[in-house]
Amino acid sequence: MISCKQATDYISRREESKLTFRQRWQLWQHLAVCTFCRLFNKQNKIFIKNVSHLHEHTDAALTSEQKESLIAALESS
Amino acid sequence: MTQLNATKWVNDYSDMLYRYALPRVNDTEAAKDLVQETFLAAWRNYENFKGEISEKNWLFTILKNKIIDHFRKASTRLTESLPTVADDESYFDNSDHWTITSAPKNWNTDTDTTINRKEFYEVLYKCKGKLNEIQNMVFTMKYLDGLESEDICKELNITASNYWVLIHRAKLQLRACLEKNWFNL
Repeated sequence: MISCKQATDYISRREESKLTFRQRWQLWQHLAVCTFCRLFNKQNKIFIKNVSHLHEHTDAALTSEQKESLIAALESS
Repeated sequence: MTQLNATKWVNDYSDMLYRYALPRVNDTEAAKDLVQETFLAAWRNYENFKGEISEKNWLFTILKNKIIDHFRKASTRLTESLPTVADDESYFDNSDHWTITSAPKNWNTDTDTTINRKEFYEVLYKCKGKLNEIQNMVFTMKYLDGLESEDICKELNITASNYWVLIHRAKLQLRACLEKNWFNL
């Protein structure tokens, strides 16, 4: 049986189809009996999916001073 | 190029570019500099802009390259201290199973419907910002920009084993941070 440390690492490698048949089977076996790694697997999917949308969910903006200095930099270049 | 264009460019595109750069570099100053470098490069090379893509997409293409450059430069500074094996910060015990304090807990939010999206993304941004610089770069290139591990290793000049250790640690840390600051409130 692989360890939780290995299983959580395998979960990332599986995303890129980097596991051998034997490793896939070992991960499957581990997840079948380990609640914690099943939770990790599920939660991993949630945050890697959402993290790519970070820029769509922010109000971050440059200040008007920063914009002025950008304009000045462009005009003097 | 007239003055009107510089003002219009900055007003039309600077926030958009800044919002794209910020969650990638997790640093307001660096994000601002990247936006400025992008505008300057576009400004100086405007004659090369063929209009085959929109001005906006052209600026984004330049920004994406600037971000990769930024990571590449940072990685030459950081790769000396790269771990080849995971330094264990107590996520796992001696037999490599979850420690009691680190084991994942049920997240008590129905993530598809009841997440308060904006606040959730703020926490996600902050947690991502707590990753160390090289973990953050690798994680960004993989999960925000969708690059394959081989390409990330090539760009940052790191080995595959460095890469997998960095991704593993980044995810353990990010997951723990989200659990602590969002899902178990």
